[in-house]
Amino acid sequence: MTTTRVFEYAPTAPTLDADDPLHGELLTLNMGPQHPATHGVLRLLITLDGERIVKCDPVVGYLHRGKEKSCETLGWHKFFPHTDRLDYVQPLTNNVGYALAVEQLAGIEAPPRAQVIRVLLMELSRIMAHLIYIGTQSIDLGAVTIFFYSFKERERLYDILDAYTGHRMNNTYVRIGGVYADVESGVESLIEKFLEDFPVALDEIDRLLTRNRIWYDRNRGIGVISREQALASSLTGPVLRGSGVDWDLRRAQPYCGYENYEFEVPVGADGDCYDRYLVRMQEMRESCRIVRQALERLKTTPGEVLIEDRRFVLPPKDLVHSSMEELIFQFKLVTDMRLPRAQCYRGIESSKGELGFFLASDGSSKPLRCHIRAPGLMNIQALPLLAHGRLFSDMVSLIGSLDFVMGEVDR
Amino acid sequence: MSEQLTAPRFAAALEGLAHRVVAHPDGAAIEVEQAALHDVLRALRDRAGFAMCTFVTAIDHYPREPRFQLHHQLLSLEHRDRVRVQCTLSGASAPTCSDLWPGANWMERECFDMFGIHFTGHPDLRRLLMPEGYEHHPLRKEFPHHGIEPDKLYRDWDRKRREGWTETP
Amino acid sequence: MGSLKPVGPDQASDQSAFGFVATRTDWLINWGRKNSLWPMPLGLSCCGIELMAMLGPKFDLARFGAEAARFTPRQCDLLVIAGTLTWKMAQAARTIYDQMPDPKWVIAMGVCSSSGGMYDSYAVVQGVDSILPVDVYVPGCPPRPDAVIDAILKLQKKIEREDPLGRLLGSAPPIGSESGSGKLQFQPNFGHHKSGLDKHAHDPKARQAIGDPAPRRTEVKP
Repeated sequence: MTTTRVFEYAPTAPTLDADDPLHGELLTLNMGPQHPATHGVLRLLITLDGERIVKCDPVVGYLHRGKEKSCETLGWHKFFPHTDRLDYVQPLTNNVGYALAVEQLAGIEAPPRAQVIRVLLMELSRIMAHLIYIGTQSIDLGAVTIFFYSFKERERLYDILDAYTGHRMNNTYVRIGGVYADVESGVESLIEKFLEDFPVALDEIDRLLTRNRIWYDRNRGIGVISREQALASSLTGPVLRGSGVDWDLRRAQPYCGYENYEFEVPVGADGDCYDRYLVRMQEMRESCRIVRQALERLKTTPGEVLIEDRRFVLPPKDLVHSSMEELIFQFKLVTDMRLPRAQCYRGIESSKGELGFFLASDGSSKPLRCHIRAPGLMNIQALPLLAHGRLFSDMVSLIGSLDFVMGEVDR
Repeated sequence: MSEQLTAPRFAAALEGLAHRVVAHPDGAAIEVEQAALHDVLRALRDRAGFAMCTFVTAIDHYPREPRFQLHHQLLSLEHRDRVRVQCTLSGASAPTCSDLWPGANWMERECFDMFGIHFTGHPDLRRLLMPEGYEHHPLRKEFPHHGIEPDKLYRDWDRKRREGWTETP
Repeated sequence: MGSLKPVGPDQASDQSAFGFVATRTDWLINWGRKNSLWPMPLGLSCCGIELMAMLGPKFDLARFGAEAARFTPRQCDLLVIAGTLTWKMAQAARTIYDQMPDPKWVIAMGVCSSSGGMYDSYAVVQGVDSILPVDVYVPGCPPRPDAVIDAILKLQKKIEREDPLGRLLGSAPPIGSESGSGKLQFQPNFGHHKSGLDKHAHDPKARQAIGDPAPRRTEVKP
């Protein structure tokens, strides 16, 4: 599926003005680490020739909290709350990614109903993450209204997740071998109501932005990256799909039963900021479709949400409070869970790209290694490539359209 | 995935290069010697279609010697499969693969930052996540989780700030 | 109201009329300050998203006069440290604090900035009060926007009790020495960790055990 373009002509590309009195006089500009447009704590050392960027050196690590070391110290179960805070605009997706990797290492699989719930939560998270993109990108480019519109919708999703998981953000809802608890009946009607209203709100944002002259001129033709460059730079997700590569892990290497859902993978044509915007808008609509199918499946898939395998899976909390054996299992699993001696990598399609966990176990209770493959880090790495020769004002659109979250980039 | 490793395209790609196939829960990995690492990676990219390098990272087997094991995870979009190349390093240096995949540049910088592995031929081997001037490599096993003098650089800066010398960080 | 000339406390003790004027002027200044806090949102991590939600349509911080978020410290008087502060970022945070004009207040939003939270690691500052004085701590990971609004209301009550004229004339202690646990800003908590022997610099018991005086509480005037 290819996204459609509304305008067929590009705005005039910036040309180097030889009469520019500042031409040839290089200026080094420090942007960040505290800057409203860097979406967190990214620092950019930019060398300017007049108004054009000749060199851009991103400095990351201002939010490096040592998560990989924490995993080695804490153990498999206790690392779950840390995965939420990786890409904190979509905590549940990170949960699922880590759970899938551990499950693969342990050789277990979540029950069907838990997989439906995971898909449901992941797609709601994808909508939340893309709404953050729309909100921040538009506020950076001057359309403050869209920020309020997108956050209004996000608040509704927060209400759903609050009712569902008990917390607005950083839910830690997924467990090894399933999810923490079954969905409550009242929440389904909340999601159905949201699915009725959200496409209307999305169309409104679409009408305000897609054909907007300012939005179009500041995104179209900016930050073009070709298919080959994107592949060589290890870009994934909407940035890769914006460049015309039809690659979505939900389709290519399905997990959680994504092969049973009907959805389209939007693909851009030119690989500029505008294409990435169109891809993300379309992905939100496709996510709505998947959520709708998941709700249907939820009604036809009864059963447990957590498998009973006391080697790796925590017992449900009500049993822990009432049964001595389950209490012992809980204690053993939290303090001393041993996975087979092996290594494995599992990648899933988060809203930013391929989020992967590479786990290595030496058979003891402490993980040997947990490497987190962050899509955002690769996006920032491509920033100098995209920014070279562009105007300084394009930097804001570039940072917004690459859509990284520093918690995930720095880990 | 292990049956894919015996597929003709792997045999053709790795012909003449010493390697060993190791089974893992997510498929198989190829174990190679350090001297053949770069050639194997190049062969996999050029002849087996692995157009993307997903990550480069290391595992520290301290106190076992040799301690560092380097991992390259590769992805082929057209064949929809992955392969991991693992290599036990004799010391703390390895050949770079950022000439094959430009995206591996920062992954190797991160690996250098966290483990202190020097990548020979890397164009810009600096620290990525920890600040410049930091003395340790945090993901080495002998490094404690709560760090060694975590605020040393800040205290140096703070002392200069109190003496009236200011510098934006 | 007679003369609006400010008077010091030594004169106010025997001249009650001037003391009245000083008190009313203090009240007026404090009233103005507390209802027009300009926050400087230092959104570091997850809490930054909740901070954005707080400025957004549902929670609407404009109801309390603190919605004018400026991203330059020169124009702000309330620093909201939202999220995990690392040692690499600490220099920037301290510089931002130094650049803010007096009077200024600090809210540590979330457990990470209050105490290091779940990150007891080599890269994270174990509480921003190691490097700058804090007025209000907000627990939660992340705190709900309601909790941060409550913190702003508490800060407004704290501002009500301040003594701006006395500070101007030098009879009240300067800002920074009395707000938050500013004492700690001169001794970053090197060497004391929450884990292990539980000798954390912010744990009052540990503080007494290692021979430090207990932190001074901000006095509450009746």
